[in-house]
Amino acid sequence: MRSPAAAIAWEFHRPHRWALVALAGYLLVVGIVKLLVFGPAPVSLDPPDAIAALGVVPFTVTFFYLLALFSFGLTGDLAGRQSIFPSRLFTLPVPTTALAGWPMLYGAASMASLWLVAALLARWPWGLDLPFIWPAFLAAAFLAWTQVLAWMPYGVSGLRVIATVLWLIALDAIVILAVHYEASEPLMVAFLAPQLPLAYLAARVAVARARRGDAPDWRGSWARRGRLTGVVPPQREFSSPARAQLWFEWRRHGRTLPVLVGMLLPFELGLLFIPGNETPAVVFKTLAAVLVTPVVMAGFVAATVSTSNPHARDTYGVAPFLATRPSTSAALIAAKLKMAIWSTLATWLLVLVAIVVTLALSGTWPVAIDRVGRFSEAVGTPRVIVAALLGFAWLLTSTWKQLVRSLYIGLTGREWIIKTSGFLALVLLLIMLPTIEWIGETKRVQAALWDAWPLISAVLVAVKMTAAAWIATALYAHRLLSDRTLLIGTAGWMIAVLALYGVLVWWVSTPFIPRYLLAMIAILAVPLARLSAAPLALDWNRHR
Amino acid sequence: MIEVSALTRRFGGTPALASVSLTIPRGGVYGLVGANGAGKTTLIKHILGLFRAESGSVRVFGLDPVAEPIAVLSRIGYLSEENDIPGWMRVDELIRYSRAFYPAWDDAYAEELRDAFALDPGAKVRTLSKGQKARAGLLLALAHRPELLVLDEPSSGLDPIVRRDILGAILRTIAGEGRTVLFSSHLLEEVEQVADHVTMIREGKIVLSAPLDTLRQTHGGASLAEIFVAHVGTPAPSAADV
Repeated sequence: MRSPAAAIAWEFHRPHRWALVALAGYLLVVGIVKLLVFGPAPVSLDPPDAIAALGVVPFTVTFFYLLALFSFGLTGDLAGRQSIFPSRLFTLPVPTTALAGWPMLYGAASMASLWLVAALLARWPWGLDLPFIWPAFLAAAFLAWTQVLAWMPYGVSGLRVIATVLWLIALDAIVILAVHYEASEPLMVAFLAPQLPLAYLAARVAVARARRGDAPDWRGSWARRGRLTGVVPPQREFSSPARAQLWFEWRRHGRTLPVLVGMLLPFELGLLFIPGNETPAVVFKTLAAVLVTPVVMAGFVAATVSTSNPHARDTYGVAPFLATRPSTSAALIAAKLKMAIWSTLATWLLVLVAIVVTLALSGTWPVAIDRVGRFSEAVGTPRVIVAALLGFAWLLTSTWKQLVRSLYIGLTGREWIIKTSGFLALVLLLIMLPTIEWIGETKRVQAALWDAWPLISAVLVAVKMTAAAWIATALYAHRLLSDRTLLIGTAGWMIAVLALYGVLVWWVSTPFIPRYLLAMIAILAVPLARLSAAPLALDWNRHR
Repeated sequence: MIEVSALTRRFGGTPALASVSLTIPRGGVYGLVGANGAGKTTLIKHILGLFRAESGSVRVFGLDPVAEPIAVLSRIGYLSEENDIPGWMRVDELIRYSRAFYPAWDDAYAEELRDAFALDPGAKVRTLSKGQKARAGLLLALAHRPELLVLDEPSSGLDPIVRRDILGAILRTIAGEGRTVLFSSHLLEEVEQVADHVTMIREGKIVLSAPLDTLRQTHGGASLAEIFVAHVGTPAPSAADV
């Protein structure tokens, strides 16, 4: 390498070259499958059908990956005050213009190329006619401003995240409005193209400040103000190790889900303020999307809940600080489970308040009330109340389950298990999407599945109970849980299954669904095996 | 206090500990010395219960540290070179959090150490220098007045003032009746200053274990560095090198 530009390019390219090859190979395979199996007919993007999702999902993931890569977000401390631009680069004999400029140029080129490839593939073999130029500028501008905000030093921790999210929301909103009002391509290009040099100038200032260590510090004045006004309450001691560990888990992971959901809610609920969107169909689609959001986001947050310390030498293993706590592995797991409960409750409180406020302010209350009234007339008020309570309970427990369901994988601390599990989950997801669509379109398959449903349920129940029995034996053998805890846990699980079965029998009073099937659904719905395996996983990790 | 019997550990095909047996009675300072990669940290992690014995056994206070983590770890203070205290905690939060786990936590002593180490209670751990982080770790290791203090290369890469604090902590700890310190280091000058008993380890095997005075007598008054070269075969770095 004979120039800094080539060295910086190599640094970005080298660790990610195989991922790019894998993406290209994947798209080639999906394209061939699309042409051979589904033919040349265009796919649907609104809503996306399964084959469209096979293309959209990896492109979206790659987009966010490139965003993190070129802004150095993969290695920096996003929540910290200091710039996340790598400080090791500051000592290179390279002017600041080049330090800021090359990553921006490579990033902008990569983002624009990603879009151009996506748009080309959309034309053939997907059969979609997408605009070429302005989305490429949008992707580049999106990255450029993310780089500016990521590389800027801030006065207090966390301000970077807030500033970045707000700015990107503003940029996104402008584009959504432009699409909604069908702005012309030249107008969009005229708006987006000047963003790139403006962002470059801002990034150069940000890197220059970071390079000379010029970071503002507002912590002192905030702390003084807090003390003066009595905002900062005196800290109390923890009454037990369990409370201390719960606090630790809450501070590490508890706020992630409410914050993420809180960032998405304005986008979703904001739709109800757009004129013409006050129809029942739009209102209920929007509310459905909002209600599903915590459950979906909890699935993403779950990956972080099982990590111990991202700054430790072994990021997958339990950090020695935590591993040497005089606490049992079961107690450490219990703190995670309790934290997940509080995180779930905080998230749903936020969602419910946001829904109520939005319905009131957007004037869509009458639409919601009218539909609920009609439903009540059709099935009776008690059933509506029970359905609402059951639905809410299902959403709460689903969110919590999503948060804790992968603990038994993540807490093993074995990189190969975690990565294989993630890969298998992705493969399963990609297989499931077209399979579900195929089932939805094929009456014969639906009938066969309906006939086989008792057998399928029985097999699943057998697998679950066998796994649970093996796990309970292992927990007992390793003395990870006391006899009392094992008994209470088993009794609690049985009570939950019986309660759910009772509700299902009362709610689903139809001769088409036999009661043994409802019992099996109740057994499958209440978590047992994977949750019980979490202490085993942590024990295996903690005592290697 | 510590009974290690025929302990063997392999990482893949590489033996890290080969049938190590070691007895550490109550009271005194035990120096564990060896070159990098000799197996010091692996042995210490077995004593803390962070590694499960593949073969052989480990008993601390007569208990298995893997099976009884609360009973063992609540009586141990531990500081390692890999000081991984969560950076998001403030110093006062770190003290508040840690004291909940130790029934014997001494608030007055913790405050005395915090003052002596000049740790700002409102400072985030991630903003502390390496030396300050080591001091914070030392505070946590000492404030519950542990029966056994385990220090794994605690002064590696630290300046002389922090190293002096650590050695001072060792001396203060042994001043308490019946307390024991297990001190792993490759800085032989430090070990020589405080250790009563020295164990040398090479390629996962204990090559020498004896009281320091006895070692000096049997080696004609040689320094620990000379004894190390004679038994381990490689010169150890001095404090001035790090």
